[in-house]
Amino acid sequence: MTEPATTPRSIRPNSMSGKGGLRGGAARLIMALISLSLLGTSLLCGAPAPSQAQAQAQAQAQAQAQAQAQARAQAPRTLRIGLAVDVDTLDPAELDAQESENIAHLLWGTLYKTSSDGKLDPYFAQSSSLSADGRAYTFKLRPDLKCEDGTPLNARDAAYSFEHPADPAMKFTGHAAGFVLPALQYTGVHVDDPLTITVKFKAYNPIALGLLSEMFIFCRAPYEAMSREQAATHVSASGPYRLVEWRHDDHVLLERNRNYSLPAPMYERVLFRIIPEGSTRTAELIAGNVDIITNVTPDQIDAINDTDTAKVESVASIRRIYIGFNQKDKFSATPGGKAIRDPKVRRALQFAVDVPTLCDALLRTPCRRAATMIFPPNDHTGISADPYDPDRAERLLDEAGYRRGAGGVRFEITLQTPRGRYPNDVNMALAIAQYLGDIGVNTKVEVLDFASAFVPLIRKHDAGPMFLSGTSGASWSALYDMSDFPSPDGGANYTNFADPEFFAGWKKLEQTRDPAEQASIIRAMMTVFHERGTWLQLYFLPDMYGVSNKISWQPRADQLISLD
Amino acid sequence: MALLSRRLLQSLFVIAGVTVITFITLHLGGDPTYLYVSERASEAEISATRAKLGFDQPLGVQYLRFAEGLVHGDLGDSLIYRTPAIGVVLERFPATLELTFCAMLIALALGIPLGVLAALNHGRPLDGGIMLLALLGQSIPSFWLGLLLILSAGLKFRWLPISGRVPLLEPLFAGDFAVAWSNLPHALPYLAMPSLTIAFFSMARTARLVRSSMLEVLSQDYIRTARSKGLSNYRVIVHHALRNAWLPVITMLGLEFGFLLSGVVVVETVFSWPGVGRLVFNAINHRDIPLVQASVIMFSLVFVSLNLAVDLLYARLDPRIRLR
Repeated sequence: MTEPATTPRSIRPNSMSGKGGLRGGAARLIMALISLSLLGTSLLCGAPAPSQAQAQAQAQAQAQAQAQAQARAQAPRTLRIGLAVDVDTLDPAELDAQESENIAHLLWGTLYKTSSDGKLDPYFAQSSSLSADGRAYTFKLRPDLKCEDGTPLNARDAAYSFEHPADPAMKFTGHAAGFVLPALQYTGVHVDDPLTITVKFKAYNPIALGLLSEMFIFCRAPYEAMSREQAATHVSASGPYRLVEWRHDDHVLLERNRNYSLPAPMYERVLFRIIPEGSTRTAELIAGNVDIITNVTPDQIDAINDTDTAKVESVASIRRIYIGFNQKDKFSATPGGKAIRDPKVRRALQFAVDVPTLCDALLRTPCRRAATMIFPPNDHTGISADPYDPDRAERLLDEAGYRRGAGGVRFEITLQTPRGRYPNDVNMALAIAQYLGDIGVNTKVEVLDFASAFVPLIRKHDAGPMFLSGTSGASWSALYDMSDFPSPDGGANYTNFADPEFFAGWKKLEQTRDPAEQASIIRAMMTVFHERGTWLQLYFLPDMYGVSNKISWQPRADQLISLD
Repeated sequence: MALLSRRLLQSLFVIAGVTVITFITLHLGGDPTYLYVSERASEAEISATRAKLGFDQPLGVQYLRFAEGLVHGDLGDSLIYRTPAIGVVLERFPATLELTFCAMLIALALGIPLGVLAALNHGRPLDGGIMLLALLGQSIPSFWLGLLLILSAGLKFRWLPISGRVPLLEPLFAGDFAVAWSNLPHALPYLAMPSLTIAFFSMARTARLVRSSMLEVLSQDYIRTARSKGLSNYRVIVHHALRNAWLPVITMLGLEFGFLLSGVVVVETVFSWPGVGRLVFNAINHRDIPLVQASVIMFSLVFVSLNLAVDLLYARLDPRIRLR
């Protein structure tokens, strides 16, 4: 099966579109005049003739600028995006949900920014440096940054962007206060000069820069003047757009922030419409009332692709879907719980499931098969996904001492799954149970409501003995992906995996900053994880978007709707 | 006056009962803290969040705090929106009210004449046709009817907008009549499909009730007397039959409004209507306990108030009620 490539996100008007031809022509004319005037200036000033390489580079730059100008000229003035879920808050210190983060990235900047291919590029920071002891990052800010009201955005504002969410009196529970700052072991921030800040941590963290790039930088004065309640809905932007209107459960309208000093965004306005029902989102897309829709369900793919107005764009996201084998002692009392404590049994079950067929049949799209927990572009371990080989699965189970008994059953086990959390999750669990049944593992599927039953169970590490789940990684770091397993009792170690050889790897990683050595340790850790069959690896969840043919837009693996 | 006091007291008991049931039901699912912490949160971080949200207190204490807040009009902050839950509900309420009233009007405007027509043509094909329509109205799930309307009137023929809303009641409540008036022509196309979807079920029930009520009244002696006096058919039906057939319909109106309110949960989701129904659906999915409590209390207040009003109206129309 073919794997969808993680293409760089870009949004540009489709050259096939008949609209905007006059404006496109005008842009081309302007670019031609600029080129001619540059050439004339160069001749008049007696500039030396450029070398062939320089000329090529110049031509490339000109072509790129021309393409950008053309794209900008042809782009509709308002981009309309249909979201499945409303924003919960627009307080930059309290943001948590993906939908809010998507809009937040248009409203506020960050020190560094993750590119579509997982690279961390300077954004509001010009540069950064790590202290010798690895416990402080110093950032030099761009000098031309401005707040929405036009006042300069300086180091004091950047420092406040850390101090405010970290303030215990504010009792914030969002992504910054609830995850980023504790994960960094943040201890404070220091303003070194009007354009420099130093962020300090308790200990060296190899993924600190990536985590820091998740903190939004906002202006101090407007947020100090607002109550917490006001801050949830009243935005003072620092990014490319400003908030015009947020009507709850209906729409969020943004328009270009005139005081944003970095390159202007392509669209004058961005309208996020909240359309919770999948079929309604699809109808709005086909009718041409929105340009992009999120969360296209497998049953809607053909309905969209069969029209000439829109198509489905799919990308393998950073969310890993897997079957966890919970090795907690309490499950040993059950036959299945006891069996999956044996790594050989866990590996056997991996060989019993035909993942590509599951994707084709239930997700209606090819999906990127997971070999390890690391997002493929960052996975340099060389470990391959286990193929579908039921004979080998049966042999391994025989070797482990679980031979077929009465009625061909080796043992019985329960597989718990949430309902409606992931696309077709219940059917996926039922199909996996069928595959396991084929090799003599009688699997009972227990369907649980996600919010009220599954989450409390899994967060207490009590789901199982087998459970279907998915956790998000990152596109920028293998170590971030591995942080599900920081320790045997780590927050997202829902399987209670406690292999000492694996966890010794973290100690080794703490002692080195050499990338080659880090890669070698990661490889060793992943080999242990794979051979012990900790997860029944399924796939990186395909994220599907409906995109109007009027525009050309590529989704990103990190689920961020980027308009760069 | 005694009837009013008695009914008010009963209503208070009903609302208190609703708060207890809602509170217990919402807490049956276990500790909701896990929904408000990161996947990678440590046990210490989870405990800190639990304390921040007040979920570390015994259930009885949590309920007493909630009841105390309720008396003061404070139902706590929504866990999703991080703002007072009652404010979030009140913000969405005009949209739901608008939709429900519109649906009620359609249901009555279609249901009553259809019921009268069916009764007057009892046993004839027209009666059968109307009853078939009523059967369909009560059998078709609202989400399915909604999607059918979207695909036909919205997508295929492009007669009506597929989803969304133009506010009508908010400017009216704010005293901005000019804005409300100018919004009216834009708001009606958005209102049409969702209110028709909700009204279809209610219209069917109204038609059936009016039909049976009319049939009963039409067989009464005083109708025969009226006819024998030589009164016109119109006068007999409107002034004698329909007036007496009203009583069960009026009784049903209060309940019907409650049913319509509960029906908006699905329809608001299908048509992206930003009302309380969708809010409740979302709040339940996220186990936003303060928000669900605020919404349920709001719904129960409306329901109880309407039924109280209907009871009082009923007492006014039928002296036997006052005597009991």
